[in-house]
Amino acid sequence: MIKSEPRSILQFLATHFDLLRELFDIQTSNEVITLSQVDNTLKNHESEVKTQLLEYKLLVPQNDDFIINEPYFVLFEFILQQFKPLLPEEIEKFGQSIRNLFGKIKENNLDDINHLLARIEALSKEINKFRTAVTNNTISLLNESRELKANTQKIDYQQKVHQARNWIENYIKPLNSILDVNHSQSIFNELLEISKYSNKKRFDNSIETLRTQFEKLYSLLRQVIADINKQSIILSNELLPLIERIKTESEYLKGFHNYLTNGNCWKKYEPPHIFTTTRDNLYNPFIYENTKNYFEQFKNEEDVIIVEEISEDKHWFFERSVYKSKLESNLPVDDFFAWCEKSLKEEKDDFSFDNYFMITSLMFDEDFNIETLQEKITIKTKQGELIMPKLKIEKKEYELSK
Amino acid sequence: MNYPNKHKEIVTSLMDGRFITVNEKLFDVINEQENRTFYTAFFEKSFGFELKGTHEFYYLISDETKENTSREISIFFSIFCYELDKDGKNFLDELNYSEFSIEEITEYFKNSSWSDVIDASKQLKDGESIRKLINSTMLKRNIVTKSINGKYAFTKAYKLFIDYARDLIKEDNQEKNK
Repeated sequence: MIKSEPRSILQFLATHFDLLRELFDIQTSNEVITLSQVDNTLKNHESEVKTQLLEYKLLVPQNDDFIINEPYFVLFEFILQQFKPLLPEEIEKFGQSIRNLFGKIKENNLDDINHLLARIEALSKEINKFRTAVTNNTISLLNESRELKANTQKIDYQQKVHQARNWIENYIKPLNSILDVNHSQSIFNELLEISKYSNKKRFDNSIETLRTQFEKLYSLLRQVIADINKQSIILSNELLPLIERIKTESEYLKGFHNYLTNGNCWKKYEPPHIFTTTRDNLYNPFIYENTKNYFEQFKNEEDVIIVEEISEDKHWFFERSVYKSKLESNLPVDDFFAWCEKSLKEEKDDFSFDNYFMITSLMFDEDFNIETLQEKITIKTKQGELIMPKLKIEKKEYELSK
Repeated sequence: MNYPNKHKEIVTSLMDGRFITVNEKLFDVINEQENRTFYTAFFEKSFGFELKGTHEFYYLISDETKENTSREISIFFSIFCYELDKDGKNFLDELNYSEFSIEEITEYFKNSSWSDVIDASKQLKDGESIRKLINSTMLKRNIVTKSINGKYAFTKAYKLFIDYARDLIKEDNQEKNK
């Protein structure tokens, strides 16, 4: 049981990746990692994480030495795309289990449906493992053959041929027979057979759960067969003619290999400098500059916030009838202009000349009598002062005879 | 002041990012010692650009570079040459003397085992992208020319990209030896 939290383990893998990579490389070349190698690697990386390596079960003891725990080793192989080539026997074992399971499924004993379902599921798992093994093995053989072609080890031609022959005889040819469609006993042919069978069963089986399971198996096989075909093409085009291919060698080919391998072209090297052309001017030779200038003029412009000036005058309306009735109720008024000022101030303290003269227009009303007095009065507004005569105003008495 | 013959064409061509290559008349003009000195100073003083030249092509570079385009072209040549070699052909002879249709070129990429690199590249990932890279970018920059039969031939500008890949190893070795 691993007592640690999964996220801590993944975080640890990311933080100490270089250290773990070095341990992975040691195990790849020596099969085991000795205690002193573990200590030295930790020392090289100035790291004191031995406890975590054991606690997370990254390293497990093997007698006096250590090995990287299998699931982690497979993970490292995958993320580094660095697989050890498999011997044909190691791949052939998947063929055996696939054949056995398929044989049992074909017996088609419907007495125990659950068992049959479990077998179909197990068959799918084995097919998946087989696909992974073949793909990884092709990648590994491809890497090895590319290294040989680029002659990264700087060995002479005779040695290269010897090496190539070894790869071809022991790894490439046997893998090719496993994938050979013309070979009746090849695993690839077995897969085609299963695909045909599951295609039939996904329609004509009487039990729905079985039909669904065969449907899944058929769908998996369609993808697997396509993937394996791709690997088979690489084998016949690139790996089987390896001896022929290593005849040519050049600095250029070494360069291409180095540039393309491990994503170097994306991660490691800056490409040669080439000129950045100016924009094409389709309509006017200065369209680009003009457009640029147009947009640049707004670039540093501050935001303009328009605050509408609220003019109180606009919102004040002279309601003649209201003021007239107010005046009537106050009659007689000894100082009409002072009354206007007072009444207006009750409603609007900061009045203008316009407001004021609107109210004074009441004196022209036919219902009032006006008497002019000698005195003068001063009316103050925000716009200035008005010197007005003093007016006495009273209600007009109509003669009944009229 | 007298400008060299074909001055406008030379300047326009280089400023469009074109390579002026050995088989062109413009090359003969710019390749004269006196003119080369003139254009080196002209581009440097007028625009701050550097005129680069070999005995087979001239081109401009500036502080800004079309990094993605250059990378895609470099990957294109690395894979194309690798595949030509795999096909039993001398890739240098092929680049120098052969013509290719778009279909022939895309077929090499389709069958290449560098599929992980090809799939990750925007301009090589499928036939249409490759066609665009060749017929638009590379043709415009005079890295390829198109003949009347619709096939493409490579100009000597290809050497910039394949020499670059070759020289990376030398640089790596020099760094290791430091």
